[in-house]
Formats: sequence, C-alpha cells, structure tokens
Amino acid sequence: MASSRQIELIASAWLSRRDGAEWTAHDQLQLDAWLQESTAHRVAYLRLDAAWRQSDRLKALGAGVPAGAVPERGAWGMAPLPESRATPSESGIDGEPSAPARVAAAHRSSASSRAARKLPKSPPRRLLRYATAGFALVVLASLAWGWRHYAAVDQASYRTAIGGLQDVPLPDGSVITLSSDSRILVTLSRNERHIDLQQGEAFFKVAKDPGRPFVVSAGDRRAIAVGTRYDVRRDAAELRVIVTQGVVRLESDNGPGGRRRPSTLLPAGSIALASDAGVVVNSGSVQQAEEFLSWRSGFLSFHDTPLASAAAEFNRYNARKIVIGDASIGSLRVGGNFRWSNAETFVRLLELGFPVRAVHGKDVIVLKSR
Amino acid sequence: MWPHRRHDAVIGAWIGVTVRGVDDSLDNWFIREILVHERALMRYLLRSWYRRDEIHDLRQDIYVRVYEAAAKARPAMPKSFMFTTARHLMTDRLRRARVVSIDAVGDLDALNVLIDEVSPERRLSARQELKQLTEAFDRLPDRCREVVWLRRVEELPQKEVALRMGIGEKTVEKQVAKGMRLIAEYFYGGGHAHRSRERAAADAEHGDGHGQQQAD
Repeated sequence: MASSRQIELIASAWLSRRDGAEWTAHDQLQLDAWLQESTAHRVAYLRLDAAWRQSDRLKALGAGVPAGAVPERGAWGMAPLPESRATPSESGIDGEPSAPARVAAAHRSSASSRAARKLPKSPPRRLLRYATAGFALVVLASLAWGWRHYAAVDQASYRTAIGGLQDVPLPDGSVITLSSDSRILVTLSRNERHIDLQQGEAFFKVAKDPGRPFVVSAGDRRAIAVGTRYDVRRDAAELRVIVTQGVVRLESDNGPGGRRRPSTLLPAGSIALASDAGVVVNSGSVQQAEEFLSWRSGFLSFHDTPLASAAAEFNRYNARKIVIGDASIGSLRVGGNFRWSNAETFVRLLELGFPVRAVHGKDVIVLKSR
Repeated sequence: MWPHRRHDAVIGAWIGVTVRGVDDSLDNWFIREILVHERALMRYLLRSWYRRDEIHDLRQDIYVRVYEAAAKARPAMPKSFMFTTARHLMTDRLRRARVVSIDAVGDLDALNVLIDEVSPERRLSARQELKQLTEAFDRLPDRCREVVWLRRVEELPQKEVALRMGIGEKTVEKQVAKGMRLIAEYFYGGGHAHRSRERAAADAEHGDGHGQQQAD
C-alpha cells in the first residue's frame, strides 16, 4: 500500500493537472477511478482541494497591487488585531496560545519590519527552505528506489570468521558492520528490510525509508527501526540491543503458553538485554552506548568490567580462548581500551596489575590466581 | 463517480441554501467540521505519538475512519469524535505492536485528550482566517509563492504563468502541486509537521538524541 505521503503527492499532482488548461473528460474519468479506489485517496484529495480553494481568498490581498508584481513577504498592511482578540487568533482554534503560534507571531513582526527596512532575508529562513527541499529530495529518491524494487525480493547471506570484521553495504544505502564470528541473512522486499541475525553481533546504520521498516530478528525477538543506528548481538541465552541514534522497537514472539510478552521502545543511548526473564533497559548517554561499539574500530573498552565478562569479550574475536581458571578472579574488575586482536597483551597487563598468573596452552590461555 | 458527486454537491448546496443555509454533502461536512481542527489534532498527535515519522500516516488513518463513519451517520460532535477516533487508532497501533511495557503505559497516559482540545470549537472570523492564510502564503518558497500569486490572485492560466516567469509549464504544474500541499500543511495543520520534521532531521544529523532519554 502506498504511504500517506505518496498518496498526498499523487493527489496534488491530480489537482494541479486539473488546474491546468488541458483537462479532458478522459482525465476526469481516471481521477474518478483513483478517488474510488480508497477513502485515503479521497480524504487526501479533499484536503488539498479545500486548501487550494481557500487560497482563492488571497485575492483580497491583491487589491491595489500592480499586475505582475508579487508583494514582499509580510507587506500586507493589515492592521494588527487588538491584543484582546489576538490571542484566540494566534492559537488557532483552541484558545491556548501555543509556542509555535508565538514563534510565528514573532517571525511575522520581524518579517514586516524587515520588509519596511528592506533588509536582506534572514539566513535561517533560507536554511529552512533548503532543509525542506532536501527532505523532498530524499523522499523522492526513496520513492524512486522503492518503485524500482517494487516486486523484487533480494536475499543474501554473509558471515565472518573469528577475528573477521566486515562492512556490508545494502542497496538501500544502509550499512551493516558484521562483527567477528557472525552470520546474517538479508532479505529485502517491497515492504520490509529483514535481517536475520543467526549468530554473533552486527551494527546497523539504517537508511531512512518510512515505507519499509528495518527489522533485525534474532530467534523470537525483533528489533525494528526506520532510520537509525543500532547494534544487535545474539548470545546463547540473551540478546543485546544498543541504540546510538533514533528509536528502536524491541518485539518478542509470544512466550510459552501463548503468554504475551511486552515490546519495548529503545531511544538513543539505550542498552537493552533481553533474556528469558524479560528485558532490562539501561538508558544512558549516547557516548556510553558508543563505547560498547568500539569493536568496530578494533577495540574493546571496559569500565569496571568483571574479568570474566572481559575475557568472554576477547573470546568473541579470538580463536585462542581466555579461560578463567579460578572462580575467585572472575569477579576482578578491569578497565581500559584494548585491541581485541591482541589478547596476549591484555593477559600480560593482567599479570602485571592483578594477582593473576597465566598458563599459555595451544588453544587456551588459562588464568589462575597467584 | 466524481461527476455524480459534484452534481450532488451542487444540489446539496442548493438545498442547503433553501433549507438550512449549509451545504451538507459529506465532502463539505468533512472540510467544514473536521479539517478545520487539524491544527489541534496535529498538536495532540505530536504530543502523544512517539514516532514523528508516522504522524502523517496516522493523520490520514484518522481522516479515513472519520470519513467512513460519517458516511453512515454524521457524529453529533465532530471534533470530539475525531479526537476519540485518534485515541482509538493510537491504542490499536500500540496493541498491534504488542507494547505493554512501562514506556507504552506512559504513552497510553499521554493519549488522554486534554479538555481544551475537545472543548466547543471557537470559529475563526473571516479576517482571522485570511490572516492565517496570508501567513501560510508567506511561508512558501520564493518560486512557489510567485506561482501561487500569479495563478490565484492574478488568475493567469498556468501557461501564462510559465511565460511570465520564463519557466516550463511542467514546472508551473509542479509548483502548483507543491503550493497546495504546503498551504494545506500550514493553513490546516499550522505547519507543526514541518517544524518537527526539520527538528528531527537536525537531531539525526548531530546524532545526539536530545530529549530521547528514558528512565530505567
């Protein structure tokens, strides 16, 4: 189904064509058919048509203006309404003066004084225009792309070896950074961009496409976004979602016995851990969240992290595993930035700063207390 | 069929004048009783709904439901009917998303319509309406504003607007379409959607997620 913005674009295209000279009976028939198709078409059409008919009343402003000259903004010479009556008019319909209305009022008065003094237009206004134009471009581009891929379903899978890191650019402009020892299946269809995270961790930089949600599923859970940046990591017992921009919705399939499980909204800065017990959300700053994602540039950062967790982190990236030999040292707290490819250095530093002794084996490094 | 509808509208207007002084066709009812409250509706949606990018779509759904319901029977209090519809739709969407978490409860609370939003509507005077329309017109981009002026105020055909401005006819048509959309957004919606969209775009650029913090 077309999005509401697409419908609005089509409705305005119909109306502007009808406003032109070459409107034929055949065109009218086609328009009728389009309006018949759905109420959504009709209401969009009605709204624009009504607005356009309203604009006819601008003629009241044309009195005394020479033909062909478009008056400057704000140069309307309309006496301001008396203060007592100004409030309801500023606030539109419901009486409460809203901030935007006040801004508009301020803007208007500055506009008229500008017009009087013939000062150049203010840059913010220009900027606003560019922003709008830029947005329109983005919308058009994504529409065009969506159209081209109308019925296409692309499917591809990607995987990385231990210690591997891979950027996967998608045709929609999104980029997936695949972490060590991870596997994804990407399915791009008309209505959805679906990534099945089968193993490991990946960071998603999602291109905006309101018509096609970006869904990352892992087992019975899904993290859904439209245009945002987030990280999803799948472990045996839990799923971790870190959001660094935008909002992600974390959904779960029904639990055992059809019990409904809540979905959770994760704004930027969230670190969510989902396990069988439920979802725990830790909301902090985006910077804090970013720290968990330094793996993308080859680092691991720890802050007061239990040694057992830090070792597990290293083990994600290295074939030679760090094993905690004595339970007592697993709870030692470590901090700092480490290159994940260099577990040996990490172990050496541990030996220097902690009562820890490393026994180097072929596939493992066992840590014991001294 | 549209020609029939138009015909109906004309007859409706004629009956309206003689009987009640109001054109009572469904389309006109919708414009007169529903669209005029778009500003209040947009404010409500922006406050209640967590996804700005969905508001345009949400508004369309609300209009569709109200229009279809009114086709069967006109609600006695159109404005509060529209707000009730809005609330139901948002609740439905949240349910469909299976959100029952703490965040969602917060959202559901926000769905309570403020009294002032459903209070009996204060109609704008013709002069106030013209003022809003002028503001909407002044917010149009330069070229679009010029096209709208020549077409609407000077009533030049699109072809002549193109000649006058030295641009293609297709361009004029596109600017007319754009003018309609923007005037509708500014005049009916108060331009809220635009403001928030720009703000969202700015936020996205800085990636700082301002105002998106959430308690544990």
